[in-house]
Amino acid sequence: MKYSVLFIAALLIATALIAGCTQQAAAPAQKGEIKVGVIASLTGPASNVGKNMGQSAQVAADEINANGGILLSGSTTKVPIKLIVGDDESTQQGGQKAATKLITDDKVDILVGGYSSAVTSAYEQTIAEYKVPYIVTGASSPIITHRTDIDTSYIFHHCPTTDSYGQYTTTFIDQVVRPAVNTKFNFPDSRPFRLALLYQDTAFGKGVQTAVNNTIMQNKLNIVLVSQQSFKMGESDFRTPLTAIKAASPDAVYIAAFPNEGAPAITQGRRDIGLNTLFLSVENNDNAQFYKDIGQYGEGSIIESRFSPYTAPTGALADAQSKFKNSYNAKWGVYPDMMGASTYEGVYIAAKAIGNAGTTDKATVRQALVTLNMPHVIEAMKGGTISFTPDFRESQFDLWMEQLVYNQTIGECRPFIVWPDNLKVTNFVLPSWYKPGSA
Amino acid sequence: MVDIGILLQILFWGIYAGCIYILLATGLNLIFGVMKIVNFAHGEFLMIGAYITATVFFLTGINPYLIILISMLALVAIGAVVERLCFRPILGTGKLNEIFLSIGLIYIFQNATAMIWGDEWQSIKSPYEGITIPIGSLNVPLDYIIIMVVTAVILCALYLFLKKTKTGREMRATSQNRKGAKLVGINVERMDVLSFGIGCALAAAAGTLWVVSGQVFNPYMGSIPAIKAFAIIILGGLGSIPGAIVGGLIYGIAENGAAYYLGGVWKDAISFVILIVVLVLKPTGLFGESGE
Repeated sequence: MKYSVLFIAALLIATALIAGCTQQAAAPAQKGEIKVGVIASLTGPASNVGKNMGQSAQVAADEINANGGILLSGSTTKVPIKLIVGDDESTQQGGQKAATKLITDDKVDILVGGYSSAVTSAYEQTIAEYKVPYIVTGASSPIITHRTDIDTSYIFHHCPTTDSYGQYTTTFIDQVVRPAVNTKFNFPDSRPFRLALLYQDTAFGKGVQTAVNNTIMQNKLNIVLVSQQSFKMGESDFRTPLTAIKAASPDAVYIAAFPNEGAPAITQGRRDIGLNTLFLSVENNDNAQFYKDIGQYGEGSIIESRFSPYTAPTGALADAQSKFKNSYNAKWGVYPDMMGASTYEGVYIAAKAIGNAGTTDKATVRQALVTLNMPHVIEAMKGGTISFTPDFRESQFDLWMEQLVYNQTIGECRPFIVWPDNLKVTNFVLPSWYKPGSA
Repeated sequence: MVDIGILLQILFWGIYAGCIYILLATGLNLIFGVMKIVNFAHGEFLMIGAYITATVFFLTGINPYLIILISMLALVAIGAVVERLCFRPILGTGKLNEIFLSIGLIYIFQNATAMIWGDEWQSIKSPYEGITIPIGSLNVPLDYIIIMVVTAVILCALYLFLKKTKTGREMRATSQNRKGAKLVGINVERMDVLSFGIGCALAAAAGTLWVVSGQVFNPYMGSIPAIKAFAIIILGGLGSIPGAIVGGLIYGIAENGAAYYLGGVWKDAISFVILIVVLVLKPTGLFGESGE
């Protein structure tokens, strides 16, 4: 008995030690550092995207520090950034732990990151309580800054919300996909387009669902939602909800999922269910692993995007995007994804706000974020500048739609921008195997 | 009006899901039957089996259905080591020790896997992924037929082993009465190692079939299936292998039926609703005997 107790105690200690290996330990505080905390899903189901966010933040911090850091008021020398990454473990409890540790133990000056809306919203109360400026770069539910049950005035949203990209994708369906289907199959324009939704049963997925419904209703679009199926976060078997969707005979399926859910959903839909329809995905799926997993089954599908590992709109930001991708690839051996891009920008926004404030005083930095007006960094912003709306502190992105084309040589799909007209490199085409739905 | 074609499809996906659950729950039940231990880390053996299959597949390109044998053999060895080093020392010292030990093992296996293979999700492609077979009104991917056949073959082999071999009979005897088995000269500790190893091998088979079917996998994939496997063996009756098979099928079909009729969020919940109903009506489970 004595040995078994000792054994279990040793086991628990070993477990704690090994578990601790996945957390980046904070080094002791040093004078003359500006501490930027990054909350990312380094472990758990969202770790692919989370690591990308943490690593992108590191690239930004390295670049800023290579230029000396940030100049504060009353000083002639710049102060370097110290990046501290907290792991939210892809869970609400993990997010709460990471936020609390970064704020109370590491005493960060500003926070950047946050991926899952469900996870991020769980620790917003802590942010409100300690009044730490937080630039959210991944959680896309509008509730992040719209909620009224807590004070969100220190939270700034630097990624498109589900409202904006849900509306954007629905508009694309109405203006591009619906006419293409009608033309190819000689349908009258009065025929309602049959759209199905497969969404994660979280604030993120429900946000997309709400945005699609509202866009159709408010703009009186000729689109009818024939099936709306939900699934739990982290699900990997979508065959039954896809069977239900197939039974509703859709013209297209819009999937609001993380990339680790979106790739199997499309694969199972095309391969197992025989859904020869058009799949549309949310922007967070524009991820290198997604392209790898989806293989040939991604052919013809659509991703709403603002940053891609494999394409970029021509123009002023092409070089900046290319430089970031190459720096990231040189440091980490892979290419960054969209959430990485906005987190990279998030660190630059944090640095700019602290620089403008001239201090790390949190209330002053918050005010600097409120009045921020800086040139866009690598992602195209409306008006070419990053600023936050006065009502809900949201930055405004220029979005685009990509269509995937299968490349047999590399065995993966690659994206091509097909909308809007000022950014597109090719036209949207309905795949030859595409079959429209029927009433 | 109910579309019979849709019902058949849901039934089919339910049986497929049931195959994974059956293998996992049967292994868990075998271990519980012989050793009477509660191992919450059983899902981690499914996860390790998935990683071994994927690793061998990435390195060699061998047909993943053949790798199932390699994965099962590897898990027999890993299971034997875990039984010998972890569970044997605490055998008979109380359920609390077993529970805490197995919870500790969950974290150790998950973090060790994340350190070895990384904790990002992965997937593999079956060599038959583009092939479908028409069965009545269904157009069924060949992979799912193979998965069902492989599951049936493994269960038949297990049945023959338990019924027709001397070791299998000794294992059953140990399961029925550990003290009695000792008295008639059966080496019960050898039975413990064997049952644990075979149970882990069945979990490895489940993990292999999971990845071959195109589902993504990561170090944390085993936790939910393990909880469901426990619910299945309680539903079917603790220690009853036919109970695990029937329970696995019931869960697979019920989950998919619930996802279709009630929505995806009910997929996991329905399993536990069934469990509660069965336990209220028949506390020993469908095939269980009183006193288990």
